[in-house]
Amino acid sequence: MSNYFNTLPLREKLNQLGVCDFMDSSEFLDGVNALKGKKLVIVGCGAQGLNQGLNLRDSGLNVAYTLRKEAIEGKRDSWKNATENNFTVGTYEELIPTADVVINLTPDKQHTAVVTAIMPLMKQGATLLYSHGFNIVEEGMQIRKDITVIMVAPKCPGSEVRAEYVRGFGVPTLIAVHPENDPEGKGLAQAKAYCVGTGGHRAGVLKSSFVAEVKSDLMGEQTILCGLLQTGSILSFDKMIEKGIDAGYASKLVQYGVEVITEALKHGGVSGMMDRLSNVAKVKAFEISEELKDIMRPLFQKHQDDIMSGEFSRTMMEDWAAGDKNLLAWRAATGETAFEKTPAGDVKIGEQEYFDNYTLMVAFVRAGVELAFETMVQAGIKPESAYYESLHETPLIANTIARKKLFEMNRVISDTAEYGCYLFDYACKPLLADFMTKVDTDLVGKNFNEGKDGSVDNRTLIAINEALRSHEVEIVGARLRKAMTAMKSIKTA
Amino acid sequence: MSQPVVHITKLNLKYRHKPVLMDLNWTINRNENWLLCGTSGSGKTSLAKAMAGIGHSYSNIEINFNPQSSLPAMAYYVANWFQFKDLEGQSNFYYQQRYNKQSTETTATVKAELESFGKKHSLSIHEVDRVLAALGFSELKYSTLIQLSSGEHKKLQLVKALWLKPQLLILDLPYNGLDVLSRKNLNALLEEISEVGTQLILISNEAELPGCINRIATIEEGKLVEISGDERTWNDIEASDKPVPTFLSESVVNASSAEIIRMINVNISYGEKQVLKNINWEVKAGEKWVLHGHNGSGKSTLLSLICGDHPQAYANDFHLFGNKRGSGESIWEIKERIGLISPELHWYFDPSATVWQSIVSGFYDSSGLFCDPGYSKKAKTDELIHYFGLDEYKNTLMNELPLGKQRLALLARTIVKNPELLILDEPCQGLDQQQTLHFNKLVDELCKNGTTLIYVGHFESQIPGCIEKRILLENGEVKSVETLLESVL
Repeated sequence: MSNYFNTLPLREKLNQLGVCDFMDSSEFLDGVNALKGKKLVIVGCGAQGLNQGLNLRDSGLNVAYTLRKEAIEGKRDSWKNATENNFTVGTYEELIPTADVVINLTPDKQHTAVVTAIMPLMKQGATLLYSHGFNIVEEGMQIRKDITVIMVAPKCPGSEVRAEYVRGFGVPTLIAVHPENDPEGKGLAQAKAYCVGTGGHRAGVLKSSFVAEVKSDLMGEQTILCGLLQTGSILSFDKMIEKGIDAGYASKLVQYGVEVITEALKHGGVSGMMDRLSNVAKVKAFEISEELKDIMRPLFQKHQDDIMSGEFSRTMMEDWAAGDKNLLAWRAATGETAFEKTPAGDVKIGEQEYFDNYTLMVAFVRAGVELAFETMVQAGIKPESAYYESLHETPLIANTIARKKLFEMNRVISDTAEYGCYLFDYACKPLLADFMTKVDTDLVGKNFNEGKDGSVDNRTLIAINEALRSHEVEIVGARLRKAMTAMKSIKTA
Repeated sequence: MSQPVVHITKLNLKYRHKPVLMDLNWTINRNENWLLCGTSGSGKTSLAKAMAGIGHSYSNIEINFNPQSSLPAMAYYVANWFQFKDLEGQSNFYYQQRYNKQSTETTATVKAELESFGKKHSLSIHEVDRVLAALGFSELKYSTLIQLSSGEHKKLQLVKALWLKPQLLILDLPYNGLDVLSRKNLNALLEEISEVGTQLILISNEAELPGCINRIATIEEGKLVEISGDERTWNDIEASDKPVPTFLSESVVNASSAEIIRMINVNISYGEKQVLKNINWEVKAGEKWVLHGHNGSGKSTLLSLICGDHPQAYANDFHLFGNKRGSGESIWEIKERIGLISPELHWYFDPSATVWQSIVSGFYDSSGLFCDPGYSKKAKTDELIHYFGLDEYKNTLMNELPLGKQRLALLARTIVKNPELLILDEPCQGLDQQQTLHFNKLVDELCKNGTTLIYVGHFESQIPGCIEKRILLENGEVKSVETLLESVL
């Protein structure tokens, strides 16, 4: 198996990277018909597997689960999840041969083993559905030519996929058909029907490609989503401790601050988030985020380049082969940081206080979102795809930090994201060392407005607002957010 | 005479920007136990919260605790609504979650909740068992918070308060969701704690009160007005003369099936615990049923099956609207034909939707509105808003309204599509007498159009007149099914 993307001629690379179509709701008028009466078999029953299955069944589709023999015999959690909700559960041999659609919702790392095991059992003309393109694109998995290969990727954690569905809505979803495997031309119709079955069609669906999904997803998760949030959180906490801010307060500010700040990002984009600051603080946050962008740009570009060339996945797969040596060491080190080990203090921090006392994080988020978006677009990824993988997902990841800090974030995200996150974090911290020496508690830990008279130069402020609002991530974002305005707000502590 | 326990002078309070309490004066002396009754939205809850110092403390509320008493010197407020969070501190729940086995372990158990409450107030854990037993709550000790029904949530709040025995106890709608027996037991327990020195303020419109209640008041135009027990009769309520919107008098379409529900030996269990046992029940189109049963008898689980909200429906022999569940229908096709209100629906409803959005969302069976409903649905909604007297709250967010008004909006949502099956699970919780009477009249009116009705209510007085059949659940089993004579209700 070799990297699929690297086997393509440049023309085809650009072609596939450029698949990006925000679909009109009229495209979904056929409902679940393309899957009605078909036998859907889901491989794996974790959070995504279970919740997607519950939705599909409630949409009138026929759903069963297949698990490895050991999981069934050992009555593991996945077996319990499925049986306690009255789904049929069987081994690969029992269920795969009769399946019309096999849905692979196992972790990336297991894809090669799982697909190799199920493919010979799949019937002629069946469909194989992924929710992530890594196996096809980076590992170059070859799928039998009679099989249709599609992707449906809800852009939210599994629990949200269910919660939004029963509320009568859904979560934004990305779909794709693999051009090498669409022998009957039915891939798109089935992917759309699957979307309707999980409720995704009500919240905005982006038609993408396996290639565009992987190359943008990897970039987003390594840089702004996980990497920078981790770096920013650790540096902010350490700075506050260095400057004598109460450790409990510092821990709480960092743990919940990123969630509160990115909640504003979710509703109003980068400019909406920056507007939560006073004028003086906004000017300052703008200035330092410009500086941050300049410092971090080469690192963002290196990550994107390594993702495009396949270098990133090659080194990560080497680590898989070495029994996750690097990953486990990095994970252990993250668990030992002072931020992770200091419990959040029993202090009340008001919603606005998170902005006023954590201006540094606002600057980090702006710099990271814009940089990730710009770097992706420069590499040939379409703005809509880049938006999903940068700004859109940031609040979702921030939510995991609010729950149980960085350890929880790294536990919840995919194995590829976790690996990339550490890689970024270790390269980024030294880059920011100089910058951080200039940071004081007015930017992190204390109210930025304290002791300032609040006056700003009109022309400066207008220029800053203009720069923020005319950025492409804002233009694209405003349009996409309109389609998903009703997304339930993430609750804050 | 000793100094009064509570002395309120010229209290002014706003709810959002509207004044609700205006120069209110109130003196509560020792050995007095008050009932605060009256219309929804008159300011009862705002007053209670102010007295308990929730959100803000007021210098014109003076509370003099008895230094000689061994009871905690505090004014403890039991809210009309039970709020809880999951173990991660979130309260982002959806109401079907309690039926999903794997989602129930994310909230604390009753036992853990009580232990942490006991620790906070330095209470002896042994004393709580007696209160638990008296309210029939002992078995639920190992249940998690999300598994409890609304009546059980109410009981948990009461258990805490009765265990704490504060010097001043303010109970806001304490009878909501409680069955007849539990209400009796509650009254006995309240008598008991009042004898040992707890003074009570009850906010309620119920008829059956503990005997220790010796003073009664309402709030009228922002001021406290004391009334006598006789003045609490509600014979003088006039029926609303507003005509029922015409779109609600249209006959409901149920040509597809004369049979609405058919359950054959339906069983629901969570691990070892069986909550429904061999349920057999048939409901034909146009029938009007009342569903009775104690708290925890399985009523809400039974209703969740009918509304397409229970995953175990797929493992049972169960027909809805003539189709077997799991034969290719979607839950949205089922919900389209049902108008539902329940305490759970209210509890989990999107609080950030406006009244108008909440009502229109009834056309889509969603919690909150996600699309443009178009002219005819908008027009029907406006008509209904006017009928329910909610015009001035049309664009107000649900969480900015008192409970009674929120409930009215959700009742409008329930009927807005003139559904063929109405499921009204304690629909009038939180409403005052007049609103209850009006709503029941409306239900009677709707039922003339061939609507099928399933009604749950612990309060005989609140049940509409059109009911003709009764099913009684006990411990998850059908205890009896009977046809009622008109004179019974």
